[in-house]
Amino acid sequence: MLEAFTGRFRMGNTAVKLPPERMPEAYRGVPRLGEEFFRGGTAEKCARACPTDAIDPAGKTVDLGRCVFCGLCEEACGGNGIRFTPDPHLPFGSREQLVLGRSSLEPPVAGVKLRSLLGRSLHLREVSAGGCNGCDLEAQAAGNPNFDIQRFGIDFVASPRHADGILVTGPVSKNMKEALVETYEAVAEPKVVIAVGACAASGGVFRGSYAVENGAGGVVPVDIFIPGCPPHPLSIVYGIAGFFGRYPKKVPAGRPR
Amino acid sequence: MNVHAFDLADSPPLDEDGFRAFLLGTTAGGDRLLAFFAEETAPGSILLHAVAGGSVPGRYAHGSVRVSDRSFRTFTDVCPATHWFEREIYDLFGIVPEGHPELNPLRFHESWPKRFFPSRSVSAPAPDPRRGYRFLQVRGEGIHEVSVGPVHAGVIEPGHFRFSCAGETIQNLEIRLGYQHKGTESLLRGKPGMKHLILAESTSGDTAVGHSNACARLLEVILATPAGRAAEDRRSVALELERIANHIGDLGGLSADIGYLFGAAHFAHLRGKALNFLMGLTGNRYGRGLNRIGGIGPCASRAGIEGMLDGLRQLRAEVERAGSTMLESPSVVVRMEGTGRLLHRTAKTLNIVGVAGRASGRDVDGRRDFPSPCFLEFPPGKVLLEGGDVLARARVRFEETLASFRWLTRVIPLAGSRRADPPPGPGSVPQCRTLAVSVEEGWRGEIVHAAVFDKEGEISTYKVVDPSFHNWPALSFAVRENVISDFPLCNKSFNLSYSGADL
Repeated sequence: MLEAFTGRFRMGNTAVKLPPERMPEAYRGVPRLGEEFFRGGTAEKCARACPTDAIDPAGKTVDLGRCVFCGLCEEACGGNGIRFTPDPHLPFGSREQLVLGRSSLEPPVAGVKLRSLLGRSLHLREVSAGGCNGCDLEAQAAGNPNFDIQRFGIDFVASPRHADGILVTGPVSKNMKEALVETYEAVAEPKVVIAVGACAASGGVFRGSYAVENGAGGVVPVDIFIPGCPPHPLSIVYGIAGFFGRYPKKVPAGRPR
Repeated sequence: MNVHAFDLADSPPLDEDGFRAFLLGTTAGGDRLLAFFAEETAPGSILLHAVAGGSVPGRYAHGSVRVSDRSFRTFTDVCPATHWFEREIYDLFGIVPEGHPELNPLRFHESWPKRFFPSRSVSAPAPDPRRGYRFLQVRGEGIHEVSVGPVHAGVIEPGHFRFSCAGETIQNLEIRLGYQHKGTESLLRGKPGMKHLILAESTSGDTAVGHSNACARLLEVILATPAGRAAEDRRSVALELERIANHIGDLGGLSADIGYLFGAAHFAHLRGKALNFLMGLTGNRYGRGLNRIGGIGPCASRAGIEGMLDGLRQLRAEVERAGSTMLESPSVVVRMEGTGRLLHRTAKTLNIVGVAGRASGRDVDGRRDFPSPCFLEFPPGKVLLEGGDVLARARVRFEETLASFRWLTRVIPLAGSRRADPPPGPGSVPQCRTLAVSVEEGWRGEIVHAAVFDKEGEISTYKVVDPSFHNWPALSFAVRENVISDFPLCNKSFNLSYSGADL
């Protein structure tokens, strides 16, 4: 018993500061499009390497709703075309807001009423709908002592009756469609739907399979999509807290949490 | 030795008795069933393949039999481990295994058209409509049913559990899956390429490295572009990092399920540290992006892995301290001991693999029985317990975590100093019909990928076997006669993949 207490004491507060100070260099977060991407045949070269057709060479855009962050495009067309930066603040929002191009759209913020009702206490029911479990693991990790999404009053609950909204992962397998719709209907109004990961946005790597719906958008009304395959827990924290206008812009150094 | 290619011209189909004798003989000789699947060689023309092996390191055996497009006599009598495989074949092709003990659709629920069998070609004769799902009815005074899922209380994957209980005690648990079915295997046909590795990484999100290693080696043996030793070393390093991260996470999950909150919080924190090593190596917390066909990606080959050693030593000390505190705590032991016992006999009959098998005294480890170059040179530490209960499965995880730390401490200095591999050669495509099999011991157990390549080098059938596919039935046996409130704990102690089983 004593060991458990001392162990817990030694662990201390492990919650990362927000925004995080430093991410591992290798991490593939927000992709930046270089000038080279918009010139000549670079975009075509990137598009040929992309396994999920996320790059539109004609429109010169990258759809993060399809991107699996594999980095193959960066290898194919060089760092001046597309470069993955170690920034976990992936753009979130409507399906169109996930598309990167010359000009990108600002992430949305919930309306005043929704923010005043749910902004400081948001309870979500998670529905895993045919994914690989990667996004579920990261949603779970968002609640662990390292990422601590509870600091914003956000929590996962066991029943849709206790929830203010649902968090959906996966391309929505045909076998989960009914359960997803019923879970959505069981949540009282006003409610939010947060779709997490490339699968939930577009079907991701399973797009076009006979057994999936190619994303949650066609099954339930999604308020925000958070891209990634899977998104880093910080991307999930950023997306949800950001939507409610709660994500800190800058934290004074040394301020205790 | 962890990948093998059979020239199918050298391994002609057996007759039915011969195939039965093959299954009986190979499993009696100490081999275990690795994969069992059907291939439609021409419309309506069905070939069943069985791959077994493992009695001695690197041994693979293949047998096949032609069956009618309507039915075959079940093989569960000679090899009970074919149980779920035959249900899968029924799902995909509509071919009935006559005499099967429990022929319920595995993946297709009521909403699907009754004549939809995705792997059967449309020009083949139409099969009988799919049977409806029938739950086993337990009768007797006071028996009641409890149904759970598909949407579970935790942040986990969907599945349906139906308990038949007498009072608190579970008499029978029926597990109905399929909710995660997304047609993964159907997307793996055709010309081999990077999309295969990306899909392998998404077969079961917590085992991205295991599945992608297995898939990469399978494609490499066919395309004749083997990975160099430096790449192979790093694949194995990533595999062990994945094992450490997941085992730590499971110890945290078990802690949470018994209300041992120190463990739940601490292991969740330590799991994050372990995942960050994978991030340093591959650029992703789950090791996605590690592999290419013929080697590993630039991020993984660049990474200075010797830099991990200090951090790993530190993490090992923390895990050792937290793990022994947990597993020596009387309140933890008393809760886990004797709970959810899986008998050795049951584990052997059902061919239970990986952690669950080794906690029930089954000495099976794909790293030893189908070694990759790195494990051939540096054998893995052996962990084997007899108890078969939740405590044994927790202890196997803890001991394996420490063994993996020891293994990494030995291997990383050598792997880090190895000269980079030359770029892969141009390769070639096979000139004959070939069946390739690749085995990798993921953290949960043995992962098998098998594929039939036609003469043009295209994949006509791709079979993925996640260890969960073997192990799900074990959960039903383990929870019998336990109280229903212990189910979450039992379930967590197996921690099986829904996605890996449903594909």
